[in-house]
Amino acid sequence: MANPDVVVIGGGIIGTCCAYYLAKEGLKVTLIERGEICSEASKSSQGHLFLWELPEINIELAKASKKLYWQLNEELDFDIELRNTGSMSIADSPQDFDALKKTIEELRNAGVSCELLDSNEFTKAEPNVTPDIAGGAYFPDDGQLNPLLATIAIAQAAKKLGAELKTKTEVTGIELSPDKSKVAGVQTDNGKISTKYIVNAAGAWSAPIGEMAGINIPVVPRKGNLIVVENVPDDFINCKIIIASGYLDSLKGDNEVAVAANVQQTKEGNLLLGSSREFAGFNKEVNPEVISEIAKRCIRFFPALAELHTIRSWAGLRPYSPDMMPIISDSPIEGFYVATGHEGVGITMGPITGKLIAQLITEQKTELPVEQLSVNRFAKQS
Amino acid sequence: MAENNPRTYEGTSDIKIENPDMIICRCEEITLKEIQQAISEGAMSVNEVKRRTRAGMGLCQGRSCSRLVRKLIAEHTNQKFGSIKPGTARPPVRPLPLKLLASLEEDSNG
Repeated sequence: MANPDVVVIGGGIIGTCCAYYLAKEGLKVTLIERGEICSEASKSSQGHLFLWELPEINIELAKASKKLYWQLNEELDFDIELRNTGSMSIADSPQDFDALKKTIEELRNAGVSCELLDSNEFTKAEPNVTPDIAGGAYFPDDGQLNPLLATIAIAQAAKKLGAELKTKTEVTGIELSPDKSKVAGVQTDNGKISTKYIVNAAGAWSAPIGEMAGINIPVVPRKGNLIVVENVPDDFINCKIIIASGYLDSLKGDNEVAVAANVQQTKEGNLLLGSSREFAGFNKEVNPEVISEIAKRCIRFFPALAELHTIRSWAGLRPYSPDMMPIISDSPIEGFYVATGHEGVGITMGPITGKLIAQLITEQKTELPVEQLSVNRFAKQS
Repeated sequence: MAENNPRTYEGTSDIKIENPDMIICRCEEITLKEIQQAISEGAMSVNEVKRRTRAGMGLCQGRSCSRLVRKLIAEHTNQKFGSIKPGTARPPVRPLPLKLLASLEEDSNG
């Protein structure tokens, strides 16, 4: 078989989106995945298209990405349960409400639509939420999809465009040109593949892949636990996504463990309860104390949850970048590209990341400025 | 030995699965047709079939359909039943009221 033009490492939402948009540009793509398509963070996600995570570049990426999902939706072989849901934020205490008001000013300045709600307005919209809250906000632009179906459908679409998906294949090394300036190929436990371009979309594992090419990618795994609750009627939660206002604080990397109530209903009717953030290396075991805390906090806002049954819990590893911005860039090694560090917004930003990487590799003008997303921002600091 | 005894946990299944509308996963009401489509589109493990179809995502967490799904994958790929692994098991082992999960810490301390 002829050599591919580009090897994408990673079969999650980022890797499959890169493969799709590269194949769409006419490049010959091979995607390498150690496990199965969608077998790590992408399968562990709630599927929230989250359009209000600062800084501003994240919001721009998220908005552009959501548009691309709606375009993709027309081309994919099966339904990915994409829908516009909006989302809501709950302020537990008056202090939380004051903090939320400040945040909303910042978000509005960054172009986010949102509406403040007092506790009466909130519980009128969501009768299952306790009246014992200080208030909240409504974000009309957020959306939702099924992250498993989306990743698999996009992989399938990439395959249709000619991409080869090599699963159960692990990268063991990156081969460079003799002067170490350029990419030459990828070594795997299934043999060597010569290629001109490599995209490192290995998520929480992108740092060790970067190391193989001599590139410092300071991305570390950040564990998240989720609880699945039995199917409930559609009117249990009208806006399908309701999150504690403390969520934005929990994103900051200051604490080893952070929990914020995050209640979402899938199109099938199950509830997915999160969220947690934990630095625990590559350990993917469910943390019983953390899921207990998640249950407690979600019940605090939705008292009716107490009597509902959980049927499963799991944990996955988000790729955390120290400044909470993704890395979407080329690198000091010619032909080595990086698409990682999306933390909790990998599903949100998958399509725009794939498109930007395809535009970088084919030397087109990128549709959003990518300078601040460069991997080189970390090299300068050290 | 388990291979020949359908009633053990690991045992294969003797059932003839032919009717495309036959329900394979009863919790999520997933039919043979849907599972066969997922397998023919490349789902080669119980977990992959589950992600694509929801078979095994319901209340019983695949306890009853997992064996049939393994059998279907094994037949499609000409492999032995035993070489197709069951899906990943995750806590809790059976449906658990959230209030009990929420009081986990108090319980273990008291």
